[in-house]
Amino acid sequence: MPRSALLLTFSIGVVAAGTLALESSSRVQAQANLLLASRPDNRPAPPWKNESWLNADRPLTLKGLEGKVVLLNFWVFTCYNCTNTVPSLVDFDRKYRGQGLVLIGIHTPEFPPYAGEHDKRNVARALKKYHIEYPNAQDNESRTWNLYGIRFWPSFVLIDNKGVIRYEGAGEFHLNDRNYDMWDQRIRELLAEQQG
Amino acid sequence: MSLTTLVLALGWLAACARAPSGPLSLRAERSGSDTRITLIAAPGYKVNARLKPALELPDGRVLRLDSPHLTPDSAYFVQPPSALVPGRHSRIKGRLRASVCDPGQTVCRSVVVEL
Repeated sequence: MPRSALLLTFSIGVVAAGTLALESSSRVQAQANLLLASRPDNRPAPPWKNESWLNADRPLTLKGLEGKVVLLNFWVFTCYNCTNTVPSLVDFDRKYRGQGLVLIGIHTPEFPPYAGEHDKRNVARALKKYHIEYPNAQDNESRTWNLYGIRFWPSFVLIDNKGVIRYEGAGEFHLNDRNYDMWDQRIRELLAEQQG
Repeated sequence: MSLTTLVLALGWLAACARAPSGPLSLRAERSGSDTRITLIAAPGYKVNARLKPALELPDGRVLRLDSPHLTPDSAYFVQPPSALVPGRHSRIKGRLRASVCDPGQTVCRSVVVEL
């Protein structure tokens, strides 16, 4: 086969493979819209079992946090949408830690270890860079990510003082924007229940 | 190449072009003695430049796709990232990974394509 034919065939094959293998953009959009609706939930939070932690003396467990309101943030330092949201999370931690909120980062890599996301030293550098003082678990095998059925970075799961998932959602937000206010309101709602 | 083959190939290409496009597509072209692959994002999608796309070859090598042209915050590629695959190939095998972000929805997700 002549060179031009080889090149054409190769190009078509690659384009076709990509087209067939990827989800259609409309379907992806619909899925994103569904999750970004930040739906209320009402199921028991599954217990995570992460062993490697930062900003914590020992591994935190769901059982050990009974009576607390817990906000899980699924993130990774290579995700711009995630790091853009960190100032809001730092603010939540500053405002509500003393009232019973436990904010936990679940650091879940997107790529295999060659990308550096699994390296605890890199995660530690990111925590310092973004002034994150709340506990973070390394979720290098995506076990907690899968346990909670997460699909997007960043995602959030808000658990009440009885260990029930009350709210879930995904997507970047910023200090005092509409979504910040929504999450702030939800945290205050659950803290009020805890104290009531 | 016969005219029939060319017509069939172009028809196939046209059919692919009409299909619902995913967030990513790949372009491949010969570059000297090598093959250059370029990752194209569909409109509305952006490829995360903090986590450069990777082509994992069957022999274990990993090629990272890159471009010097990024957004001012270095978060996304402005021009499509590409990489040179050594040699001339009629077909590339491997696994392509990319972190794809939709600024409208403010989330990222991982896309994996088996080639």
